Amino acid sequence: EDMIPKQKMEIDNKVALERIRETIQLDQSLPWTETLAVSYPQTIDVDVDDDLSRELAFYKQALHGANTARTLAAKYNFPFTRPSDYFAEMVKSDSHMERIRQRLLDESAGMKKSE
Amino acid sequence: DEDAEIVQPKKKRNKQRVLLLSSRGITHRMRHLMNDLEALLPHVKKDSKLDSKSQLSLLPELADLNNCNNTLYFEARRHEDLYLWAAKTPNGPSIKMHVQNVHTMDELKMTGNCLKGSRGILSFDKAFDDSEWGRLTKEIFTHIFGVPPLARKAKPFIDHVLTFSILDNKIWFRNFQIMEKDPLQPNGPPQTSLVEIGPRFVLTPIRIFEGAFNGATVYSNPEFVTPAAVRSLIRQEKGDKYRQRKE
Repeated sequence: EDMIPKQKMEIDNKVALERIRETIQLDQSLPWTETLAVSYPQTIDVDVDDDLSRELAFYKQALHGANTARTLAAKYNFPFTRPSDYFAEMVKSDSHMERIRQRLLDESAGMKKSE
Repeated sequence: DEDAEIVQPKKKRNKQRVLLLSSRGITHRMRHLMNDLEALLPHVKKDSKLDSKSQLSLLPELADLNNCNNTLYFEARRHEDLYLWAAKTPNGPSIKMHVQNVHTMDELKMTGNCLKGSRGILSFDKAFDDSEWGRLTKEIFTHIFGVPPLARKAKPFIDHVLTFSILDNKIWFRNFQIMEKDPLQPNGPPQTSLVEIGPRFVLTPIRIFEGAFNGATVYSNPEFVTPAAVRSLIRQEKGDKYRQRKE
């Protein structure tokens, strides 16, 4: 007695989705500096289980985003690079960064040892 | 003559504020993920846990009380499954997603860092533009994850990129620091490289509702299997094996 597979209802109401998007859409005349959103002209076509090439694809997408944003920022005369004398609180604390550095040092020391 | 003063057309601005809160029963990892998002997004207002899991209709009201027009609600089930609601309040729409593969910024493997409250660039891959639900999701994420320029705690420089990529029908989130100089050659030519800051997570869209936490379903993901069903299937297979061995 096999189980009858329950067919899931698929809903994809494209008309409603488009209508909803139009109601919440930001004003198209807003300058780019208001959202800082960029589109990557490629899809990510890699094997999901291949960690290395997947992360590389994400990296490439982010790099494209960074470069596009820099050109756009120059166009809008928008400050991009942080000056070297500007200091402010970071998302990771100094003690956390120190732990990261220590771990990297330990790792490289371990690698040297095993050589 | 003051009456003759030319009235400047009011400059349009992108005004967004996001209410961030969770249900009861979240684990430490989920809580850390929330804290990471709060650190990265200066226009987020964090609120205390929502008491009731059934009365999500309270959320639009709560967002309104906090002057927020977006809500990110983390819903924990059975202390192991995490769902994320991203909603435009008060009129909707809202997206319900399943959160998996969470890595937080606390992990020592991700060596990047960025200013607290700097505005991140949002990068969406092309797949978002290829479907109607993708376009809607992109719009909502632009509102929620894009830091508006007038956010109170926003810093005036850009030093990180948030990427959203659709792969295997899931949305993958990454956050990278932008390095403009090679740390080994500080005086060399400027060369952009990236270092991951974290957090990482993968979102599986489940449903999109027309309203905020209510309303008609306008999209449902036919491929989504609940994590409880996956676990029960695994247990069932184990049970079958045992039964066969006994016979």
